[in-house]
Amino acid sequence: MNKELEHSFVEQLQKHQNIVHKVCRLYTNNQDAHNDLFQEITIQLWRAYPKFRGDSKFSTWMYRVGLNTAITLYRKSKRKIKTDDFDSHQFRIKAEEYDSTEEDQLKLLYQAVHELNDIEKALVLLYLEDKDYKEISTTLGITEVNARVKMNRVKKKLKTILNP
Amino acid sequence: MDELELLKKDWQRNSGDYPELSYDEIYKMSHAKSSSIVKWIFIIGLLEFGFWFVISFALKAFGYGEQIKSLESNSFFIVLGILSYVILLYFLFRFYMNYKNISTTDSSRHLMKNILKTRQTVKSYVAFNLVFLIIATFYGVYFSLQHDESAKTLVETAAANGEIFKFYASFIGVTVFFLALAIGFLLLFYWLIYGLLLKQLNRNYRELKKLEV
Repeated sequence: MNKELEHSFVEQLQKHQNIVHKVCRLYTNNQDAHNDLFQEITIQLWRAYPKFRGDSKFSTWMYRVGLNTAITLYRKSKRKIKTDDFDSHQFRIKAEEYDSTEEDQLKLLYQAVHELNDIEKALVLLYLEDKDYKEISTTLGITEVNARVKMNRVKKKLKTILNP
Repeated sequence: MDELELLKKDWQRNSGDYPELSYDEIYKMSHAKSSSIVKWIFIIGLLEFGFWFVISFALKAFGYGEQIKSLESNSFFIVLGILSYVILLYFLFRFYMNYKNISTTDSSRHLMKNILKTRQTVKSYVAFNLVFLIIATFYGVYFSLQHDESAKTLVETAAANGEIFKFYASFIGVTVFFLALAIGFLLLFYWLIYGLLLKQLNRNYRELKKLEV
């Protein structure tokens, strides 16, 4: 592959690296796993890059490859998820920005999201990123109606986790 | 406020809190070795094709040379031999084509389907080999009893002692036992390898399929 292609890929990825971090944030529970998944997504993005035509935005394309890597290609480590693990380093919340009630609530919310299954997490991620149901449905390969139905179920599930 | 709305607000507010990787770090990462399950499915698939291909040569090298030679001149085995190579090529071709169709830019469901299809090709080839193994073993036993001198003597001795039924029963029993043992071992091996490798993928694929019902 030519140097120009490599250069444009690395530059674009560097600019949009937050997207990869966000996927890793939802699908991993510690820094090692985060770095590991980040690397695998980067590899898969680079492999797919020569076929990237620019029909969609680079960021949209990144979400798709990133999510596919997280829920399909990547094998999670056997380490048991300890929700405290990620709170300490991945979900660092700037204390001065929140009141403590909201901070507690957010902490619980992030923990609840981590209890969802891989597909539900994908829905949540795309929802948090303000993607519409059309994009959610094409990314996951389900109908728009089913994406809506599933999203409502996820919301209910989160409520149940938070208020057992 | 809706829980997810609160989360969204925070998610978007904190979107810049990640460590920033440099150009060189990203460059190095993109050229690192992948550990994706697709890579492992490809490697294990090729090893399986290789295993079944090598096994026919290995049999010749270990002790059954003469017996195999006499079997090889048998027209049934010639046809079976040619058929097995044609089928190997067909499966290899399908395996490669399915593998080539795996793309991370597809929808998640389509990607999972293609991965499982690639795996299914190898699975079908293994099933074919197991059936082939059963047919070849039984035909080989039958052929030996008809043509092998020492086997013929054993049959005659058993017939003279009036134990011909017992002889055939124990012969078939031993053959079936060893076949079952070999197949059982192989199936356990596959179950362990692919079971562990594809556990997560199968679970997610079922989840997506469930949504479409």
